[in-house]
Amino acid sequence: MPGIAPAAIHPVHLQSLRATVRDALLVLAACAAVGAATNALRPGGIAFVQRTEYEILVPCPEGSGDTQAIQADDPAVWDTRTLLVDARSAAEHQRWHPTGAIAIPFDYLEPTAPEQVRRIASSGAGRVVVFGDGGNPDSGEQLAREIAGKGIRNVRFVEGGAPPLEKAAGLRGAR
Amino acid sequence: MRGFFDWRGHAIFAMAARLYLAAIFLFACWHKILDPAAFALDIATYQILPLYLVNPLAIVLPWVELAAGLMLLLGFRTRAAALLMAGMMAMFTVAISIAVAKGLDMSCGCFASQGSADDPISWHTILRDLSWLLLAVYVFIFDRRPLGLDRLLGRRKNAAAPEIS
Repeated sequence: MPGIAPAAIHPVHLQSLRATVRDALLVLAACAAVGAATNALRPGGIAFVQRTEYEILVPCPEGSGDTQAIQADDPAVWDTRTLLVDARSAAEHQRWHPTGAIAIPFDYLEPTAPEQVRRIASSGAGRVVVFGDGGNPDSGEQLAREIAGKGIRNVRFVEGGAPPLEKAAGLRGAR
Repeated sequence: MRGFFDWRGHAIFAMAARLYLAAIFLFACWHKILDPAAFALDIATYQILPLYLVNPLAIVLPWVELAAGLMLLLGFRTRAAALLMAGMMAMFTVAISIAVAKGLDMSCGCFASQGSADDPISWHTILRDLSWLLLAVYVFIFDRRPLGLDRLLGRRKNAAAPEIS
């Protein structure tokens, strides 16, 4: 047939490629044998086929919104139009919390209940300031991002969490 | 284009890439061989493979990494080792891309188990793995046995071959 001849792989190159693939498959098979034998002989070997599901701990992606840190001594934190949200545990909330702060303990595994989000939305506050344990990661920052991701606007979190907030409250002597 | 493929400098670059990849894979396989249970958990965390494939992969993959790393380091069957590495890197890149797309907040598990907070997956991890994949392909194409067992064995074979006059 007249026309351009199709580009063919040179036989030597083809042979070399075949040998390379063959070598790779041989190595793969040898590694499978060594791996299986080692696993069978070692004390900490694992079952070749896992029967029960692995218990993995990967936080599920929740909607996350933009939020910014605010200092504990910022007057906006203590403004009457600010809703303070305590992301710490119920026990920590019980021990100390600023007057008027509502408790929504942040759970790293479970999303915040919709009724809690509605509670914030219906509060009529002009600003939401969340504070947590101040750890790394900070539960307050995590909850603030989650709340912001669910459509609540003007959400901030207290940098450092409850400890600087408690100190600032002490200095203010009230609230 | 032919000039590019014939350039002598590729031999040097391919050897450097070869040794670099060997170091990475030898370093990466270590914790997986020592603790297959932790590595199996790492694989399961990606939530991609069916359960019955998790443990076989955890048992075999570290040894393939070790073998490929040693082969590249020693210059033995370099192209086969580069092919294996390219295959593994392609597999890792796809797995990490899926995990990043899912938004999973997890560690890569490449150089340490999930228990460590180091090396969280991100688009940077994908770019890093892609660059290693390209390096493996580069070695596969351009390695011309500048130094290593392949060259040594090739010389011996040539010396042992009967001379045809």
